[in-house]
Amino acid sequence: MTSPIKVIDAPALEGKRRAFLLTEDRIGHYPEFRAFFDRIFDLARIGLSRPGYVAAPSGLVYELCFLGRSGEAFPAGVEISVMIEALEPFDEAMVDADLWEIMRWMIDGVGAPWSVKDLDATGRLYRIPAVKP
Amino acid sequence: MLLCHLPAHLREQWPYAPKYARVNGWRMHYIDEGEGEPVVLLHGNPTWGFLYRDVIPPMLKAGHRVIVPDMIGFGLSEKPVNENAHSLDGHAANLAGLMQHLKLSNITLVCHDWGGPTGLSYALSHQDRIRALVIMSTWAWPDPPAEFHTRIFPWRTMHAPLVGPYLLGRHNVLAGRGVYLSVVDREKFKQRAMGAYETVLPDTASRLLTWTWPRWIPLDNGARAIERFRWLERELSRCKLPAMIIWGREDEVFDHATFATRFKKMLPHAEGPHLVTGRHFLQEDSGPEIASLTIQFVKKHPAR
Repeated sequence: MTSPIKVIDAPALEGKRRAFLLTEDRIGHYPEFRAFFDRIFDLARIGLSRPGYVAAPSGLVYELCFLGRSGEAFPAGVEISVMIEALEPFDEAMVDADLWEIMRWMIDGVGAPWSVKDLDATGRLYRIPAVKP
Repeated sequence: MLLCHLPAHLREQWPYAPKYARVNGWRMHYIDEGEGEPVVLLHGNPTWGFLYRDVIPPMLKAGHRVIVPDMIGFGLSEKPVNENAHSLDGHAANLAGLMQHLKLSNITLVCHDWGGPTGLSYALSHQDRIRALVIMSTWAWPDPPAEFHTRIFPWRTMHAPLVGPYLLGRHNVLAGRGVYLSVVDREKFKQRAMGAYETVLPDTASRLLTWTWPRWIPLDNGARAIERFRWLERELSRCKLPAMIIWGREDEVFDHATFATRFKKMLPHAEGPHLVTGRHFLQEDSGPEIASLTIQFVKKHPAR
Protein backbone atom coordinates (compact mmCIF):
# COMPACT_ATOMS: atom_id res chain seq x y z
CA MET A 1 0.00 0.00 0.00
CA THR A 2 1.25 3.47 -0.81
CA SER A 3 0.17 5.58 2.10
CA PRO A 4 -0.64 9.26 1.76
CA ILE A 5 0.85 9.68 5.26
CA LYS A 6 4.41 10.99 5.12
CA VAL A 7 6.88 11.21 7.97
CA ILE A 8 8.31 14.73 8.01
CA ASP A 9 10.87 16.74 9.93
CA ALA A 10 9.76 19.05 12.72
CA PRO A 11 7.67 21.78 11.03
CA ALA A 12 7.73 25.47 11.77
CA LEU A 13 5.32 25.98 14.65
CA GLU A 14 5.07 29.77 14.85
CA GLY A 15 1.45 30.81 15.07
CA LYS A 16 0.31 27.22 15.56
CA ARG A 17 -1.16 25.32 18.46
CA ARG A 18 -1.25 21.62 19.28
CA ALA A 19 -4.87 20.45 19.30
CA PHE A 20 -4.95 17.20 21.24
CA LEU A 21 -6.93 14.43 19.53
CA LEU A 22 -6.19 10.97 20.78
CA THR A 23 -4.20 9.16 23.42
CA GLU A 24 -3.07 5.55 23.55
CA ASP A 25 -1.80 4.42 26.95
CA ARG A 26 -0.72 0.94 25.88
CA ILE A 27 0.96 1.08 22.50
CA GLY A 28 2.59 -2.26 23.36
CA HIS A 29 -0.65 -4.09 24.04
CA TYR A 30 0.30 -5.86 20.84
CA PRO A 31 4.10 -5.42 20.85
CA GLU A 32 4.37 -5.19 17.07
CA PHE A 33 2.69 -1.77 17.26
CA ARG A 34 5.37 -0.47 19.61
CA ALA A 35 8.03 -1.95 17.31
CA PHE A 36 6.51 -0.09 14.35
CA PHE A 37 6.78 3.33 15.99
CA ASP A 38 10.21 2.50 17.35
CA ARG A 39 11.36 1.66 13.83
CA ILE A 40 9.73 4.58 12.03
CA PHE A 41 10.86 7.28 14.44
CA ASP A 42 14.14 5.70 15.59
CA LEU A 43 12.89 5.86 19.17
CA ALA A 44 15.47 3.53 20.65
CA ARG A 45 18.03 6.20 19.76
CA ILE A 46 16.18 9.47 20.27
CA GLY A 47 13.97 8.47 23.20
CA LEU A 48 11.90 11.34 24.56
CA SER A 49 14.08 14.03 23.01
CA ARG A 50 11.58 15.04 20.31
CA PRO A 51 8.14 14.12 18.95
CA GLY A 52 7.47 12.58 15.56
CA TYR A 53 5.56 14.42 12.83
CA VAL A 54 3.52 13.20 9.89
CA ALA A 55 1.78 15.06 7.09
CA ALA A 56 -1.71 13.85 6.17
CA PRO A 57 -3.75 14.01 2.92
CA SER A 58 -5.47 17.23 3.99
CA GLY A 59 -2.11 18.96 4.26
CA LEU A 60 -2.37 19.16 8.03
CA VAL A 61 0.56 18.10 10.19
CA TYR A 62 0.13 15.72 13.13
CA GLU A 63 2.43 15.41 16.10
CA LEU A 64 3.05 12.06 17.74
CA CYS A 65 4.24 12.57 21.28
CA PHE A 66 5.59 9.34 22.76
CA LEU A 67 5.10 8.52 26.41
CA GLY A 68 7.32 6.62 28.80
CA ARG A 69 6.24 4.67 31.86
CA SER A 70 8.48 3.29 34.60
CA GLY A 71 8.98 -0.44 34.31
CA GLU A 72 7.67 -0.68 30.75
CA ALA A 73 9.36 -0.79 27.36
CA PHE A 74 9.53 2.56 25.56
CA PRO A 75 7.30 3.92 24.22
CA ALA A 76 4.49 2.95 26.58
CA GLY A 77 2.01 5.22 24.85
CA VAL A 78 1.48 7.94 22.30
CA GLU A 79 -0.59 11.10 22.01
CA ILE A 80 -1.66 12.48 18.65
CA SER A 81 -2.28 16.19 18.16
CA VAL A 82 -2.96 18.22 15.05
CA MET A 83 -0.89 21.35 14.48
CA ILE A 84 -3.41 24.03 13.69
CA GLU A 85 -3.76 27.80 13.42
CA ALA A 86 -3.37 29.03 16.98
CA LEU A 87 -6.65 30.83 17.34
CA GLU A 88 -8.84 28.89 14.91
CA PRO A 89 -11.00 25.79 15.29
CA PHE A 90 -10.29 22.83 13.06
CA ASP A 91 -12.50 20.94 10.62
CA GLU A 92 -13.49 17.85 12.60
CA ALA A 93 -14.48 15.73 9.60
CA MET A 94 -11.19 16.51 7.89
CA VAL A 95 -9.19 15.67 10.98
CA ASP A 96 -11.17 12.47 11.54
CA ALA A 97 -10.45 11.36 7.97
CA ASP A 98 -6.76 12.12 8.49
CA LEU A 99 -6.73 10.09 11.68
CA TRP A 100 -8.22 7.16 9.82
CA GLU A 101 -5.42 7.45 7.23
CA ILE A 102 -2.91 7.45 10.09
CA MET A 103 -4.52 4.22 11.39
CA ARG A 104 -4.24 2.68 7.91
CA TRP A 105 -0.61 3.78 7.60
CA MET A 106 0.15 2.28 11.02
CA ILE A 107 -1.60 -1.04 10.34
CA ASP A 108 0.12 -1.34 6.97
CA GLY A 109 3.46 -0.69 8.62
CA VAL A 110 2.86 -3.15 11.44
CA GLY A 111 2.15 -5.83 8.84
CA ALA A 112 0.76 -9.35 9.00
CA PRO A 113 -1.36 -10.66 10.54
CA TRP A 114 -2.75 -7.12 10.68
CA SER A 115 -4.06 -5.74 7.39
CA VAL A 116 -5.56 -2.54 6.01
CA LYS A 117 -8.25 -4.69 4.44
CA ASP A 118 -9.36 -5.89 7.90
CA LEU A 119 -9.09 -2.38 9.30
CA ASP A 120 -11.29 -0.99 6.53
CA ALA A 121 -13.76 -3.85 7.00
CA THR A 122 -13.89 -3.07 10.72
CA GLY A 123 -14.47 0.60 9.98
CA ARG A 124 -17.27 -0.27 7.56
CA LEU A 125 -18.85 -2.69 10.03
CA TYR A 126 -19.05 0.14 12.56
CA ARG A 127 -20.01 2.73 9.94
CA ILE A 128 -17.15 5.12 10.48
CA PRO A 129 -17.77 8.19 8.29
CA ALA A 130 -14.15 8.39 7.13
CA VAL A 131 -14.23 4.86 5.70
CA LYS A 132 -15.25 4.55 2.09
CA PRO A 133 -18.24 2.20 1.61
CA MET B 1 -23.25 12.13 33.80
CA LEU B 2 -26.60 12.48 35.51
CA LEU B 3 -29.84 10.60 35.11
CA CYS B 4 -31.59 13.79 34.02
CA HIS B 5 -29.46 13.79 30.87
CA LEU B 6 -31.31 10.73 29.60
CA PRO B 7 -34.03 11.51 27.05
CA ALA B 8 -37.58 11.19 28.44
CA HIS B 9 -38.40 7.92 26.65
CA LEU B 10 -35.37 6.30 28.27
CA ARG B 11 -35.89 7.92 31.67
CA GLU B 12 -39.42 6.48 31.72
CA GLN B 13 -37.92 3.02 31.52
CA TRP B 14 -35.60 3.69 34.46
CA PRO B 15 -37.76 5.20 37.21
CA TYR B 16 -35.34 4.38 40.03
CA ALA B 17 -33.74 6.69 42.55
CA PRO B 18 -30.00 6.99 41.98
CA LYS B 19 -27.83 6.07 44.96
CA TYR B 20 -24.10 6.49 45.31
CA ALA B 21 -21.40 4.87 47.44
CA ARG B 22 -17.67 5.51 47.73
CA VAL B 23 -15.75 2.36 46.83
CA ASN B 24 -11.96 2.35 46.69
CA GLY B 25 -12.03 6.12 46.21
CA TRP B 26 -14.52 6.07 43.32
CA ARG B 27 -18.15 7.16 43.18
CA MET B 28 -20.28 4.14 42.34
CA HIS B 29 -23.88 4.54 41.20
CA TYR B 30 -26.40 1.85 42.06
CA ILE B 31 -30.09 1.38 42.61
CA ASP B 32 -31.49 -0.38 45.67
CA GLU B 33 -35.18 -1.11 45.36
CA GLY B 34 -37.66 -3.25 47.29
CA GLU B 35 -37.35 -5.32 50.42
CA GLY B 36 -36.59 -8.97 50.92
CA GLU B 37 -33.76 -11.32 50.06
CA PRO B 38 -31.26 -9.42 47.90
CA VAL B 39 -30.63 -10.05 44.24
CA VAL B 40 -27.62 -8.23 42.74
CA LEU B 41 -27.62 -7.78 38.96
CA LEU B 42 -24.22 -7.25 37.31
CA HIS B 43 -23.65 -5.87 33.82
CA GLY B 44 -20.50 -5.86 31.68
CA ASN B 45 -18.98 -3.95 28.77
CA PRO B 46 -20.30 -1.43 27.59
CA THR B 47 -23.65 -1.44 29.35
CA TRP B 48 -24.99 -0.34 32.73
CA GLY B 49 -27.88 -1.18 35.03
CA PHE B 50 -30.36 -0.16 32.32
CA LEU B 51 -29.67 -3.54 30.72
CA TYR B 52 -31.76 -5.10 33.51
CA ARG B 53 -34.76 -2.74 33.21
CA ASP B 54 -37.11 -5.59 32.19
CA VAL B 55 -35.71 -7.93 34.86
CA ILE B 56 -36.17 -5.59 37.82
CA PRO B 57 -40.00 -5.11 38.03
CA PRO B 58 -40.87 -8.85 38.21
CA MET B 59 -38.12 -9.38 40.80
CA LEU B 60 -39.56 -6.56 42.93
CA LYS B 61 -43.07 -7.94 42.52
CA ALA B 62 -41.81 -11.33 43.69
CA GLY B 63 -40.63 -9.73 46.94
CA HIS B 64 -36.93 -9.29 46.35
CA ARG B 65 -34.64 -6.44 47.20
CA VAL B 66 -32.91 -5.62 43.92
CA ILE B 67 -29.50 -3.96 43.81
CA VAL B 68 -28.03 -2.97 40.44
CA PRO B 69 -24.61 -1.32 40.50
CA ASP B 70 -22.95 0.42 37.58
CA MET B 71 -19.36 -0.73 37.27
CA ILE B 72 -16.85 2.09 37.89
CA GLY B 73 -16.20 3.41 34.36
CA PHE B 74 -19.73 2.76 33.11
CA GLY B 75 -23.29 4.01 33.44
CA LEU B 76 -23.81 6.70 36.02
CA SER B 77 -20.73 5.75 38.04
CA GLU B 78 -17.50 7.75 38.04
CA LYS B 79 -15.44 7.21 34.90
CA PRO B 80 -11.72 7.36 35.58
CA VAL B 81 -9.77 8.74 32.62
CA ASN B 82 -6.58 6.79 33.32
CA GLU B 83 -6.27 3.27 31.97
CA ASN B 84 -4.37 2.19 35.08
CA ALA B 85 -7.49 2.81 37.16
CA HIS B 86 -8.89 -0.43 35.76
CA SER B 87 -8.04 -4.02 36.60
CA LEU B 88 -10.03 -7.19 37.06
CA ASP B 89 -9.11 -7.41 40.74
CA GLY B 90 -9.88 -3.73 41.19
CA HIS B 91 -13.38 -4.10 39.78
CA ALA B 92 -14.05 -7.18 41.93
CA ALA B 93 -12.87 -5.16 44.94
CA ASN B 94 -15.19 -2.31 43.91
CA LEU B 95 -18.11 -4.71 44.00
CA ALA B 96 -16.90 -6.05 47.38
CA GLY B 97 -16.83 -2.45 48.61
CA LEU B 98 -20.46 -1.90 47.66
CA MET B 99 -21.59 -5.22 49.15
CA GLN B 100 -19.78 -4.31 52.37
CA HIS B 101 -21.26 -0.81 52.35
CA LEU B 102 -24.77 -2.29 52.06
CA LYS B 103 -23.98 -5.07 54.57
CA LEU B 104 -25.52 -7.62 52.24
CA SER B 105 -25.69 -11.36 52.87
CA ASN B 106 -27.69 -14.20 51.30
CA ILE B 107 -27.02 -12.57 47.96
CA THR B 108 -28.26 -14.03 44.71
CA LEU B 109 -25.65 -12.77 42.26
CA VAL B 110 -26.61 -12.51 38.58
CA CYS B 111 -23.54 -12.18 36.33
CA HIS B 112 -23.26 -11.16 32.68
CA ASP B 113 -20.24 -10.42 30.44
CA TRP B 114 -17.49 -8.76 32.61
CA GLY B 115 -19.98 -9.00 35.46
CA GLY B 116 -18.93 -12.67 35.28
CA PRO B 117 -15.20 -12.49 36.02
CA THR B 118 -15.73 -9.59 38.46
CA GLY B 119 -18.86 -10.96 40.13
CA LEU B 120 -17.57 -14.52 40.38
CA SER B 121 -14.26 -13.25 41.81
CA TYR B 122 -16.29 -11.54 44.53
CA ALA B 123 -18.60 -14.52 45.07
CA LEU B 124 -15.81 -17.09 45.31
CA SER B 125 -13.87 -14.98 47.79
CA HIS B 126 -17.00 -14.22 49.91
CA GLN B 127 -18.95 -17.47 49.67
CA ASP B 128 -20.42 -17.00 53.13
CA ARG B 129 -22.34 -13.99 51.75
CA ILE B 130 -23.71 -15.73 48.68
CA ARG B 131 -26.99 -17.61 48.44
CA ALA B 132 -26.87 -18.51 44.74
CA LEU B 133 -25.30 -17.69 41.39
CA VAL B 134 -26.92 -17.01 38.04
CA ILE B 135 -24.49 -17.11 35.12
CA MET B 136 -25.24 -15.62 31.69
CA SER B 137 -23.11 -15.14 28.55
CA THR B 138 -19.71 -14.87 30.22
CA TRP B 139 -16.61 -16.93 30.97
CA ALA B 140 -14.34 -17.75 33.91
CA TRP B 141 -11.23 -19.48 32.63
CA PRO B 142 -7.79 -18.45 31.36
CA ASP B 143 -7.94 -19.41 27.68
CA PRO B 144 -9.56 -17.06 25.17
CA PRO B 145 -13.27 -16.94 25.86
CA ALA B 146 -14.26 -17.51 22.24
CA GLU B 147 -12.67 -18.09 18.87
CA PHE B 148 -14.15 -14.69 17.99
CA HIS B 149 -11.79 -13.02 20.49
CA THR B 150 -8.72 -14.42 18.74
CA ARG B 151 -9.70 -13.07 15.31
CA ILE B 152 -8.02 -10.02 13.80
CA PHE B 153 -11.30 -9.02 12.13
CA PRO B 154 -13.16 -7.48 13.76
CA TRP B 155 -12.35 -8.08 17.43
CA ARG B 156 -8.61 -7.53 17.77
CA THR B 157 -8.56 -4.76 15.17
CA MET B 158 -11.36 -2.95 16.98
CA HIS B 159 -9.32 -2.49 20.16
CA ALA B 160 -5.78 -2.49 18.67
CA PRO B 161 -3.39 0.28 19.80
CA LEU B 162 -4.72 3.68 18.65
CA VAL B 163 -7.53 2.01 16.72
CA GLY B 164 -9.33 1.27 20.02
CA PRO B 165 -9.27 4.88 21.20
CA TYR B 166 -10.31 5.99 17.70
CA LEU B 167 -13.19 3.57 17.11
CA LEU B 168 -14.45 2.96 20.63
CA GLY B 169 -13.38 6.32 22.01
CA ARG B 170 -14.02 8.95 19.34
CA HIS B 171 -16.83 7.04 17.65
CA ASN B 172 -18.39 5.13 20.59
CA VAL B 173 -18.95 2.12 18.36
CA LEU B 174 -19.28 -0.49 21.08
CA ALA B 175 -22.07 1.20 23.04
CA GLY B 176 -23.98 1.92 19.85
CA ARG B 177 -23.62 -0.40 16.91
CA GLY B 178 -21.68 -3.00 18.91
CA VAL B 179 -24.61 -3.75 21.21
CA TYR B 180 -27.07 -3.32 18.30
CA LEU B 181 -25.35 -6.14 16.43
CA SER B 182 -25.54 -8.35 19.54
CA VAL B 183 -29.29 -8.38 20.16
CA VAL B 184 -32.02 -10.28 18.31
CA ASP B 185 -34.71 -7.60 17.90
CA ARG B 186 -32.49 -4.82 16.57
CA GLU B 187 -35.26 -2.44 15.58
CA LYS B 188 -36.80 -2.55 19.05
CA PHE B 189 -33.37 -2.08 20.58
CA LYS B 190 -32.67 0.93 18.38
CA GLN B 191 -35.96 2.57 19.26
CA ARG B 192 -36.09 1.74 22.96
CA ALA B 193 -32.60 1.27 24.34
CA MET B 194 -29.59 2.16 22.19
CA GLY B 195 -29.61 5.78 23.30
CA ALA B 196 -29.38 4.74 26.94
CA TYR B 197 -26.01 3.09 26.36
CA GLU B 198 -24.65 5.84 24.11
CA THR B 199 -25.85 8.76 26.24
CA VAL B 200 -24.07 7.72 29.42
CA LEU B 201 -20.74 7.62 27.55
CA PRO B 202 -20.89 11.13 26.11
CA ASP B 203 -17.18 11.89 25.64
CA THR B 204 -14.14 10.11 24.27
CA ALA B 205 -12.48 9.98 27.69
CA SER B 206 -15.65 8.62 29.32
CA ARG B 207 -15.47 5.57 27.01
CA LEU B 208 -12.04 4.45 28.18
CA LEU B 209 -13.24 1.19 29.72
CA THR B 210 -14.95 0.12 26.48
CA TRP B 211 -11.55 -0.46 24.88
CA THR B 212 -9.70 -1.29 28.08
CA TRP B 213 -11.84 -4.32 29.02
CA PRO B 214 -11.25 -6.08 25.67
CA ARG B 215 -7.52 -5.84 26.37
CA TRP B 216 -7.99 -7.70 29.66
CA ILE B 217 -9.37 -10.76 27.90
CA PRO B 218 -6.64 -13.39 28.10
CA LEU B 219 -5.35 -14.46 24.70
CA ASP B 220 -2.09 -16.02 25.90
CA ASN B 221 -0.07 -16.75 29.04
CA GLY B 222 1.21 -13.18 29.14
CA ALA B 223 -2.27 -11.75 29.77
CA ARG B 224 -2.50 -9.39 32.71
CA ALA B 225 -5.24 -11.26 34.55
CA ILE B 226 -4.10 -14.78 33.71
CA GLU B 227 -3.56 -15.82 37.34
CA ARG B 228 -6.96 -14.51 38.40
CA PHE B 229 -8.64 -16.43 35.59
CA ARG B 230 -6.75 -19.62 36.58
CA TRP B 231 -7.94 -19.08 40.14
CA LEU B 232 -11.49 -18.47 38.93
CA GLU B 233 -11.54 -21.71 36.96
CA ARG B 234 -10.10 -23.69 39.87
CA GLU B 235 -12.35 -22.22 42.53
CA LEU B 236 -15.50 -22.30 40.46
CA SER B 237 -14.93 -25.99 39.72
CA ARG B 238 -14.86 -26.61 43.50
CA CYS B 239 -17.82 -24.37 44.22
CA LYS B 240 -20.94 -25.97 45.69
CA LEU B 241 -23.08 -22.84 45.77
CA PRO B 242 -26.48 -23.25 44.10
CA ALA B 243 -26.13 -22.08 40.52
CA MET B 244 -28.19 -21.61 37.40
CA ILE B 245 -27.03 -21.08 33.82
CA ILE B 246 -29.08 -18.98 31.37
CA TRP B 247 -27.90 -18.43 27.81
CA GLY B 248 -29.01 -16.67 24.64
CA ARG B 249 -30.06 -19.20 22.03
CA GLU B 250 -28.84 -16.94 19.21
CA ASP B 251 -25.56 -15.95 20.89
CA GLU B 252 -22.98 -16.64 18.18
CA VAL B 253 -20.00 -15.16 20.07
CA PHE B 254 -20.38 -16.86 23.45
CA ASP B 255 -22.29 -19.75 21.85
CA HIS B 256 -24.20 -21.90 24.30
CA ALA B 257 -22.89 -25.18 22.94
CA THR B 258 -19.37 -24.15 23.98
CA PHE B 259 -19.84 -21.80 26.90
CA ALA B 260 -22.98 -22.90 28.74
CA THR B 261 -21.75 -26.48 28.37
CA ARG B 262 -18.38 -25.59 29.86
CA PHE B 263 -20.00 -23.89 32.85
CA LYS B 264 -22.22 -26.97 33.29
CA LYS B 265 -19.12 -29.18 33.38
CA MET B 266 -17.53 -26.92 35.99
CA LEU B 267 -20.77 -26.76 38.00
CA PRO B 268 -22.51 -30.09 37.34
CA HIS B 269 -25.06 -29.35 40.07
CA ALA B 270 -26.12 -26.14 38.31
CA GLU B 271 -29.65 -25.80 36.97
CA GLY B 272 -29.86 -25.34 33.22
CA PRO B 273 -28.61 -24.23 30.86
CA HIS B 274 -31.89 -22.55 30.12
CA LEU B 275 -31.92 -21.19 26.58
CA VAL B 276 -33.81 -17.95 25.97
CA THR B 277 -34.16 -15.68 22.96
CA GLY B 278 -31.03 -13.55 22.83
CA ARG B 279 -27.59 -12.89 21.50
CA HIS B 280 -24.85 -11.72 23.86
CA PHE B 281 -27.04 -9.01 25.45
CA LEU B 282 -29.84 -11.48 26.14
CA GLN B 283 -31.47 -9.20 28.73
CA GLU B 284 -32.55 -6.95 25.83
CA ASP B 285 -34.66 -9.72 24.30
CA SER B 286 -35.62 -11.87 27.30
CA GLY B 287 -35.69 -9.71 30.43
CA PRO B 288 -39.00 -11.04 31.82
CA GLU B 289 -38.00 -14.67 31.10
CA ILE B 290 -34.67 -14.16 32.90
CA ALA B 291 -36.55 -12.68 35.86
CA SER B 292 -39.03 -15.57 35.93
CA LEU B 293 -36.28 -18.21 35.79
CA THR B 294 -34.36 -16.44 38.55
CA ILE B 295 -37.41 -16.07 40.80
CA GLN B 296 -38.27 -19.77 40.45
CA PHE B 297 -34.65 -20.79 40.99
CA VAL B 298 -34.24 -18.70 44.14
CA LYS B 299 -37.44 -20.18 45.59
CA LYS B 300 -35.87 -23.64 45.41
CA HIS B 301 -32.84 -22.53 47.43
CA PRO B 302 -33.94 -21.01 50.73
CA ALA B 303 -31.85 -18.38 52.46
CA ARG B 304 -29.09 -19.85 54.62
